[in-house]
Amino acid sequence: MSASAVFVLDLKGKVLICRNYKGDVDMSEIDHFFTLLMQQEEEGLVCPVMSHGNVHFLWIKHSNLYLVATTNKNSNASLVYAFLYKLVEVFTEYFKELEEESIQDNFVVVYELLDELMDFGFPQTTDSKILQEYITQKGNKLEVAKTKVPTTVTNAVSWRSEGIKYKKNEVFIDVIESINVLVNANGSVMSSDIVGSIKLKTMLSGMPELRLGLNDRMLFALTGRKNQTILHCLSDELMKRISPTNVKPLIWIESVIEKFSHSRVEIMYMKTDLIQSLSFSLFQAKGQFKKQSVANNVEIRVPVPSDADSPKFKTSTGHAKYVPEKNLVVWSIKSFPGGKEFLMRAHFGLPSVENHELEGRPPITVKFEIPYFTVSGIQVRYMKIIEKSGYQALPWVRYITQSGDYQLRTNS
Amino acid sequence: MPYFGSEEMVKELKRALSNPNVQADRLRYKNYITKVIRYMTQGLDVSALFMDMVKASATVDIAQKKLVYLYMCTYASDKPDLALLAINTLRKDCADPNPMVRGLALRNMCNFRMPGMTEYIEQPIVAGLRDKASYVRRVAVLGCAKMHSLQPNTDIDGTIVNELYALLRDPDPVVVVNCLRALEEILKDEGGVVINKPIAHHLLNRMKDLDSWAQSEVLTFLLRYRPRSDDELFDILSLLDSFLQSAHAHVAVATLRLFLQLASAHPAVQADALLCTSAPLLATCGAASRELRFAGLCHVQQVMRSQPGLFGTHYKRFFCGYSEPTYIKFRKMEILVELVNDENVALVLEELRSYCTDVSPELAQAAIAAIGRIAQTYSEKCLDILTGLLALKQDHITSAVIQMFRDLVWFCPQSTAAVCQTVEACVDSPQDSEALLWLLGEHGDQISSAPYVMEGYIDGLKTELSSAVKMELLTASVKMFLCRPAETQDMLGRLLHYCIEEESDVCVRDRALLCYRLLQRGVEETRKVVTGPKSDPSMSVLTGRQEEPISQWASTFNTLGPLSGCDLCPQTAVISAADQPSSSAEKELLPESTDVTLSSPDDTEEEISLSLGPPLSHETFEKMWLDLEILQRQTMGFPRPRTALDTLQAALQLVKIQTLAFTPGATVPWKAYIYTRSTGTLILAELLQGDQHAPGIDESLVVSVKQQPVNQHAIRGFVSILKGVLQTLNVDSS
Repeated sequence: MSASAVFVLDLKGKVLICRNYKGDVDMSEIDHFFTLLMQQEEEGLVCPVMSHGNVHFLWIKHSNLYLVATTNKNSNASLVYAFLYKLVEVFTEYFKELEEESIQDNFVVVYELLDELMDFGFPQTTDSKILQEYITQKGNKLEVAKTKVPTTVTNAVSWRSEGIKYKKNEVFIDVIESINVLVNANGSVMSSDIVGSIKLKTMLSGMPELRLGLNDRMLFALTGRKNQTILHCLSDELMKRISPTNVKPLIWIESVIEKFSHSRVEIMYMKTDLIQSLSFSLFQAKGQFKKQSVANNVEIRVPVPSDADSPKFKTSTGHAKYVPEKNLVVWSIKSFPGGKEFLMRAHFGLPSVENHELEGRPPITVKFEIPYFTVSGIQVRYMKIIEKSGYQALPWVRYITQSGDYQLRTNS
Repeated sequence: MPYFGSEEMVKELKRALSNPNVQADRLRYKNYITKVIRYMTQGLDVSALFMDMVKASATVDIAQKKLVYLYMCTYASDKPDLALLAINTLRKDCADPNPMVRGLALRNMCNFRMPGMTEYIEQPIVAGLRDKASYVRRVAVLGCAKMHSLQPNTDIDGTIVNELYALLRDPDPVVVVNCLRALEEILKDEGGVVINKPIAHHLLNRMKDLDSWAQSEVLTFLLRYRPRSDDELFDILSLLDSFLQSAHAHVAVATLRLFLQLASAHPAVQADALLCTSAPLLATCGAASRELRFAGLCHVQQVMRSQPGLFGTHYKRFFCGYSEPTYIKFRKMEILVELVNDENVALVLEELRSYCTDVSPELAQAAIAAIGRIAQTYSEKCLDILTGLLALKQDHITSAVIQMFRDLVWFCPQSTAAVCQTVEACVDSPQDSEALLWLLGEHGDQISSAPYVMEGYIDGLKTELSSAVKMELLTASVKMFLCRPAETQDMLGRLLHYCIEEESDVCVRDRALLCYRLLQRGVEETRKVVTGPKSDPSMSVLTGRQEEPISQWASTFNTLGPLSGCDLCPQTAVISAADQPSSSAEKELLPESTDVTLSSPDDTEEEISLSLGPPLSHETFEKMWLDLEILQRQTMGFPRPRTALDTLQAALQLVKIQTLAFTPGATVPWKAYIYTRSTGTLILAELLQGDQHAPGIDESLVVSVKQQPVNQHAIRGFVSILKGVLQTLNVDSS
């Protein structure tokens, strides 16, 4: 691992805050970062690893900030990225939103966190739950050092404090499957897969050990005594057992785009640019999942040309909104029962002068959430909790299928 | 300086901080301290306040303490004499009853990067190592490493090292990992921390308690351990089995690397591990974070160097998403090209075709290049697509397509006719002049309109800026003249006249003079010089990859290396080359040549040392090979060794000669491309046996050497080393 220093930069490359952990890389090296980045951006070849001399910059971008780690060793790149994302996660948990302003407003806490998260270039305490036990944001209040260290910090188990007690011992299990689908413009499914994860929110006293039994020999021994264990398993193995073919896209969208133009001659010497061409689109969405299930909060984002104007919509259900700054029409449907079909008509005015700049053709993206339903058919069969005091705990299981990277490509 | 009046600001702050009224009001006092830190963050020099800040560290408020410590760490190296005054306060805090304060003080005291600190921090660190709070122990352990980094040249303190080894048994997992990290830093010169059997087993048993960072790092440390027996090896592997499927990609990949290293003698185990990890690797390729996705793709590429088929069925996962950044798309396309087979070729090509019309010209050109590479195997389908793209009449697309045509004709002569037909149809909008001119010159006999296109170029010569185009035009016109003299004679004359009389670029003028004088010597003479081979299918050996042994890349797996491309971090590659484990069998084979520096037998006073340096990519090699001239061609006088090809490769590796590509064993002519480095020059060489053009010596091996920059001494040394190796192998195999 070993990052020599961590920097937070604004969009212009100015260092907002930094921390020199190892002292083996000159802090002024960061000046090269932004020039390198600009240079690469011009060439269209941006890369998340950049090198200047023997210093390597590994960077990520989050809202209007660059988070950069420098190193002069051949360190483990994915670990550094994972750490930078951990930083984002921790900061977000502290400040709600991580952006330039929140860094500037909370620089004292940022320093405190940077101090605890990493020492000498090695990650130390990175769990935000534990950090929150002893780094608190109390702006202008004085805090006398607690005479007791939070037990977590000195504990053998680094992710859980000892002596936690709940009146009612409960476990909330979320079985979440995200569907990634890529559909070609001619309607053939290019790729589809499920990324399954199991999230736990535990309200269990003491130091319990938890075992989960899933159907069909899928036994995961979640021996983590962690508060939240996330288990990723690639869907293919799940899918193989459920259906030999790929998943069917759950929401299917068909779109017809008709273009026609008609000219209105109002004044004799009118020029061609007053002639309008109108675009008329029809979108049809179809839920292809089981009839009993209902998809909630469906959001269908349809890209439109950047020069479109005067939108008119007609929908059979839900409502459509034009978001000109993103060149999108967002059609949202609160609840979408399986097996139903809905229609939207969108009507745009387009200038007849063709836009000369080439525009990309972004795909239609869909967001949705289907509760009480899993595509793979995975089920939690039993849950066992082993703890010294031997209490009984209530399991609450929830199944959710949601959209992951759900894209339907469009013809121009 | 951020803005004017900063001196005023500092003075004002100084007044405020030393004001007893302010000091009495703790909240106000703290606010002033916060202000100081804010200015410091903004880059203002507030070091003048050092004394006042040291005083402020005597507080019960922990947040204020942290701020003051931070201030002291920042300016300690600028004001070492004043910092010494602060040390007393810090040492007092190191004995505070509150472990948080103890840890904090110790950590910051170790962060003072100034000479002479060691004597002050040694005692608190040693006390900290035995502290009952693990928070302090964690800090103290890393403090040992910091202390060593302050004085890197002093002797290693044996007692501290022993203490750290003992602390590997600490109940706190972070202390354990910090011990490993600290020992690694301290013992850097001796090869890092030693992992013996008890330590390895202890670490393996603690794996489950560690957080994911620590797991990842411990797995890396375990790479050093060599199990004594196969039983032990398999025990370890089965213990680690579950980590192959870890939710954290970095843990899974680290485990994979350990598997590959430990099971290097068991290819079946390695293959199993790769299969097992393919799922988490693929999941990383679809990760939400772009950078992790990129890292995943780079590692997939590495794995594919040895197991090209592993991801074959998952090729659809490497289709690009619309919003992905270009660096991900480039990698995905590279992977797609490698994954093409008879079944998926249609779909992959259809997908790649849709990228060709992307808004970004770089991406479009990369997609066309990808199709061009696939065309070397599936020429017909690809030609259709490439021809179709020409109809779009986009400049950047057309030029990329014509470049692909040129490469295709060079590698696959069978597609020449089809290409010529297409070029015929599209030449009305010439874009990439060099590639097009080459095609016209080389295959002018098959493109009926060729002279007219060329005439267009010659007429527009005055406005042509690039001298490379002019040179290509000269060569192409001469070639054209040789096959279609009647149509070309007149314009060739005009061209030569212009280039000799009016051209200011010396290179172009010289080329023109050369052509002119050649033509003076007669047509047959010219033909002999100008016309070379029209294609070289055997060169495609360079672009086609064969499976490499896993050990080739395992040593840099899961580091920065695969991501940044080897050109970017040379020191990595050098390390990897030095790390290459040489099996004992090879050592027996070549007892005298294990030393890198060899004295050449031919020339006793000359000595040369070869090194591998950063690996060359196939593309770079190909480009350099085509660009450079042959400096030396030598007949070895004996055939190539009849040993297996990987033995040859390993033997060459031992003397630091890297094999890039070779034709499979029994083919005639047999070719191999090798390269090496020596004192600032790069040597490229081709081994050839059974060349049709040179009959009579077809049993003997011919070496052609190219070099950049030229250094005859190095070439002589290289050839003699090469000769030595080949002879040894020959003796051995006979």
